[in-house]
Amino acid sequence: MRSLLVRIFLSFWLIIAITIGFAALGGYYYSERIRQAIDDYEISDTVIAASTALDTEGRPGLELWLKDLPAQYPVTVFVIDQAGIDILRRHVPPRVARMLRRFAQHRNSSTGHRREPRNLRPARPLTQLVGPDEEVYTLFVVPKRSAYGEWLNEQTKSLMLLLAILVSASVSYALARAITRPVHRFRQATVSIAEGDLETRVADSMGRRRDEIGLLARDFDSMADKLQHASEQQIELSRNISHELRSPLARLRVALELARRQAGNLTEFTRIETEAQRLDSLIGQILSYSRLETRDHEAAEPVNLAELVQDVVENVRFECRSDGIDDVTVQFDPTCEPIVRGFAGALGSAMENVLRNAVYHSPSGGTVTVQLDQSADQASITVEDQGNGIPDDELDIIFAPFYRTRDAATKASSQGTGLGLAIAKRAILKNKGTIKASHASKGGLRIEIRLPI
Amino acid sequence: MTHDVIMNNANAAANILIIDDDRELGEMLRDFLAPDHLALTACLNGEDGLKKLDTGNYELLILDIMLPGISGLDVLKRLRQQSDIPVIMLTARGDDIDRIIGLEFGADDYLAKPFNPRELAARIKAILRRASHGNQRSGRLELGTIALDPRTHRVTVDGTALRLTGTEFEILRCLLETPGEVVSKDQLNERALGRRLLPYDRSIDTHISNLRGKLEQAGSANASIQNQRGIGYMLIPGN
Repeated sequence: MRSLLVRIFLSFWLIIAITIGFAALGGYYYSERIRQAIDDYEISDTVIAASTALDTEGRPGLELWLKDLPAQYPVTVFVIDQAGIDILRRHVPPRVARMLRRFAQHRNSSTGHRREPRNLRPARPLTQLVGPDEEVYTLFVVPKRSAYGEWLNEQTKSLMLLLAILVSASVSYALARAITRPVHRFRQATVSIAEGDLETRVADSMGRRRDEIGLLARDFDSMADKLQHASEQQIELSRNISHELRSPLARLRVALELARRQAGNLTEFTRIETEAQRLDSLIGQILSYSRLETRDHEAAEPVNLAELVQDVVENVRFECRSDGIDDVTVQFDPTCEPIVRGFAGALGSAMENVLRNAVYHSPSGGTVTVQLDQSADQASITVEDQGNGIPDDELDIIFAPFYRTRDAATKASSQGTGLGLAIAKRAILKNKGTIKASHASKGGLRIEIRLPI
Repeated sequence: MTHDVIMNNANAAANILIIDDDRELGEMLRDFLAPDHLALTACLNGEDGLKKLDTGNYELLILDIMLPGISGLDVLKRLRQQSDIPVIMLTARGDDIDRIIGLEFGADDYLAKPFNPRELAARIKAILRRASHGNQRSGRLELGTIALDPRTHRVTVDGTALRLTGTEFEILRCLLETPGEVVSKDQLNERALGRRLLPYDRSIDTHISNLRGKLEQAGSANASIQNQRGIGYMLIPGN
C-alpha cells in the first residue's frame, strides 16, 4: 500500500467494522432463533399441563407426566425440586444449572416477592410451581439444541473466540510491526550518526516501501549525505589550511636560515624564528581542536589508562627538559590499571595538554602530582600543580578556547596557545567523560578527568 | 678509516632528489644545502620524480606527503617495490596518522613541515653517513635462521633474501649484535636514524613493527623481537 495513513486507517476501520458487524449479526441471529424456537413450542401449554399434573396427583403425578412426554416433544423440560435436583434425576446441563442459580439469587434478593397461591403464571421458560404439600418445583422449558442449531455449542464458541483473538492479534501485530520496525531502524541510524558514523544509511534496509516511511528513509539518507559531505569538506578545509598556512612558514624558515648565513646571527633572527614556531604550533593546535569536532572514522578501543598516562608523563618530562624547564617534578605512581573504551589519540592529547599546562604554571622547584583512581564504573585522573591557582569565578571558563586567566593576561610573556585546555575538554567529551577544575589542596590548580569504564 | 669515508662523501657531493610541489621552497633548499655538499634536484610531482629516480642517480629522496596527482604515499609505495633508497618524508605537523603511515610504507624518517632546514640537513647527513658506514662494521651476524651480511647489505631468513629498508637493516643489525639483550630506544634511534629520540616520537616502534612483520612473513620462527616496555627492544632466540 502506498500510504501509511491509508494503511492504518483501513486496518483499524476494517477491524472495527468487522467486529461490530459480526457481533451485531451474531447477536441478532441468536436471539431471533431462540425467540422463534420458544414461540413455536407453546411454552404456556407445557406449563399448564405440568401444573395440572402437580395439582391433581402431587409429585408422583408430575414425575409421571414428565416421563410420558413424547420423545419428539419440541422442548426439553426439566423440573428441579427444592434440593436443586431434577425430579427424574437426569443430568442438568450446565446452561440450565447457571440459569437456576441466577434465578435463585434473584428470588432471594427480591424479598417481599410472594409466590402466588395458585399455579397460574405467565408463560416463560422458567416457572415455579407449588405442589399441594407446599413443595416448590422449578420448571425449565429449554428449546432442544436442534431447534437453534449446533453452531453455537460450547466447543464452537471457544473455537470462534480463539479464531477471533488470533486473527485480530495478528492483524494488529502486523500493523504495529510495520510502524515500529522502521522506527527502530531509524533510531539505530540516528544513534550511529550521532556517534560519528556518517556512512549510515537507512533506505536499503526498508525494502521498496513507497509510503511515508519510505519517503522519510530517503529524506533521512539525503540528510546523511549532506552531513557527510559537510564533514568531509571541513576535514578537507583543515588539511588545506594546514597546507596553505604552513607552506609560507616553511619557506620563511628556510629564508631565515639563508639570511642568517649571509648576515650573521642577529638576535632579531632568533626572534623571528621563535615567532614562526609559535605561529606553527598555534596552527597545529587550531587544527587538532577542529579535528576533534569532525568525527573521524576511527573506532573506540580499549585503552589502558595507566600506560597512556605513563607515556604522556614521560613525554612531557622530556619536552620540558628540552624547553629548559628542568626544575619541575612530575610525579606519577599508578596503583591501578583501569581500562576504558575510548579514543587513545584524543585521550593522550587531553592528558598532554592538562599536564603541560600544569608544568608551565608550576613555580620553580614545584611538583605536579598525577593520580589515577578507579571505582566500579569510572576511572579518574587528577592533576595538581603548586602554582598560584585561579580565582573561583574562572574555574569553569578556563576551558573556553583562547581564554586567558586575568593573572596570565597581565604577564608580558605568555606560554602556550590558549587552546590547550579547550582541546583537553573536547577530547574528554569525545570520550564521554567529564573534566573539571578546582582548587588543589596546596593552593594550585586541580584538574579532574572522569571517564566511564 | 671512518673519517676517510666522510671526506670522500663531502668531496663527491651527494645527489638528493626532493619531490615537493612548492617550487620556491625547493629552490631555497637547494641554496641552503649546497654548502654542505648536498646537491638537491627539485621535482614538482610524483610521476616526474619516479622517472628521475629510475635513473639511479640519487642517494636520498625527500618526499612531501601532499602532492598534486599521485600522493606522496603512493609514490613511496611504488618506489619501494623496486628500490631501497633512503626516504625522508615531509608531513604536516599534527597529522600523526600520515607520519606513521609514511614509516609503515617504508620511509626511513620524517620531518614535520614547517621544519628547521638545519634539522633537515642534519637528518640527511645522518642517513647518508649510516649508508656509507654500513660497509665498515663487523662481519656476518647470525641468529637462528636469520643471517645478516653488512658488506653486501643482505639479510636472509633460511637462505631466502629479505628485502629491508636501510633503517630496518640498521635496527636488525643493532639487535643482532647483542641477541637476548635489551637495546634502548635511544640507542636504536642513534644507530638507525642518526638522531636522538624526540618526545612523542614513535618512529622506532613503527620501524620495529615493520621489521617484525617482514621477519614473521619470512618464517623466522626461531627468533623474535620483544618489546620491553619503557626500556627498549631485544631479539630473543627461539627454541
